[in-house]
Amino acid sequence: MRDSLRGKVAIVGVGQSPTGRVPGRSPLDLTAEATLNALADANMQKAEIDGVLTGNAFASSFHRFSVALSEYLNIQPSYSNTLQVSGATAGAAVNTAAAAIHAGLAETVLVACGDSLLTGMTPDMAIRAMTESRDQQYEMPFGIPVANTFAMTAHRHMKQYGTTSEQMAQVAVTFREHASRTPGAQKTELITVDDVMNSKMVTSPYHKLDCSLISDGAAALILTSAERALDYTDTPIYILGGGEYYSHEHIFLMPELTQTGAVQSAQKAYDMAGISANDIDVAGIYDCFTGTVLMMLEDLGFCKKGESGGFVEDGQITYGGKIPTNTHGGMLSYAHPGIPAAWFHFIEVVRQLRGSCGERQVSNAELGIVHTLGAGFSTQATTILGAGSTR
Amino acid sequence: MNEVNKNALTKPLPTPDGDSQALWDGLKQGKLLLQHCDDCGHVQYYQQGMCRLCQSTKLRHQAASGNGTIYSYSVVYRAPGPAFKDDVPYAVLLVQLEEGPRMISSLVGKNFDALDFDVAVKLTTGAISDEICLPYFELVD
Repeated sequence: MRDSLRGKVAIVGVGQSPTGRVPGRSPLDLTAEATLNALADANMQKAEIDGVLTGNAFASSFHRFSVALSEYLNIQPSYSNTLQVSGATAGAAVNTAAAAIHAGLAETVLVACGDSLLTGMTPDMAIRAMTESRDQQYEMPFGIPVANTFAMTAHRHMKQYGTTSEQMAQVAVTFREHASRTPGAQKTELITVDDVMNSKMVTSPYHKLDCSLISDGAAALILTSAERALDYTDTPIYILGGGEYYSHEHIFLMPELTQTGAVQSAQKAYDMAGISANDIDVAGIYDCFTGTVLMMLEDLGFCKKGESGGFVEDGQITYGGKIPTNTHGGMLSYAHPGIPAAWFHFIEVVRQLRGSCGERQVSNAELGIVHTLGAGFSTQATTILGAGSTR
Repeated sequence: MNEVNKNALTKPLPTPDGDSQALWDGLKQGKLLLQHCDDCGHVQYYQQGMCRLCQSTKLRHQAASGNGTIYSYSVVYRAPGPAFKDDVPYAVLLVQLEEGPRMISSLVGKNFDALDFDVAVKLTTGAISDEICLPYFELVD
């Protein structure tokens, strides 16, 4: 691969705002706080940031959130953009930041996002805002929430491979166990498969506990070149590979409902990193719904197509299993403030690779993957991260 | 109340554009117009100025038979915003048209027990405003 960015850029700081129910704080305020925490984590002054990439916030009126955030923090970057590829924005922003640093467009890039879906908008408005990301002519008139597009893929997966609702529920149960050990997690009370099955149906086959939370919160990552990384931290976490894939816009033009563009996105990232799924120690997988995680375990190569249900039931996505996933609890239990949600997957995988997760630590975690996706599997972004030993 | 809040109270109404005007005109007459490419034979539901596969502009509108099967479906119990609250539960369908394309629609009625993968459905239309008729599907006995 031509002069790829493998090992050329590192994450040197991570930070977040309070998450969960955080009333009275604007998305910019939350994101600024996360940024200050990330700067402190990197022992860095704000003036050293010369690039800013963000997603947009539903509860904010700014169209150029990255520019508004810079003004809020009184920094004047020479590189800035506000990305929008729905849930894949986190991965796309990290990949893009790494590429910009590698190409010399910026030296140090803040990748941040914050929103207040829970208290900045009513739940109805939050769902409606996400619904409005569907096509106004061909999809939305039928009352199709984003949840419904994901539900139809999971439903087809059940039909095609015999995947059960109980197997999907096990994803929520596992991530809740993980969240119970994570300070600041929004939901920490342990649940059972029966609890999930008995929770209210939202859009079949998804019950309430199959669906991600609605939260407030912000998170920030600071990336810089590998040459400078050790000036800021003893444990830079390197970007080893990035891949993305955008297979369709409308759910009715998704080529296969049960196989997604994560296959191509991950393959590109694995090839750049020079690794395969078998090499990975810890994963952050976008978990907007339980069935989404099942399909991703297959498409990212952790198990065979159609076998994810049994894989999860066998305990393969928790400690001691093949691929401990979302050890912070994910969007199902830690927090889901919308677009920023997947930033927390990055923060958790970075902390795992630093070896700083305490009782949540996956032993000998050196290689990690973060896979983010959105809009009914339309958008896919994969990032491979590695500790210093893997560079 | 901000813009999002106000809009949330009313159902989204499709606004036809240059690409889609013929589709909406057809639906007002009870026809679902698909675009057939005279160069490569591709049939598309999503209306474009050019064939999605070969980019030819030799597209011809032809009414669909209205016959299809259910490729996937999901019954919505939690409304996506206040505008749909009175409608729940309702079934959103991903219909496989016999001409090839798939489309999103919803089921007429609430006979959810009869819903299943690959069962036959038939097109019908229903007006939601003076200008807009939506394509719906009903189960074939």
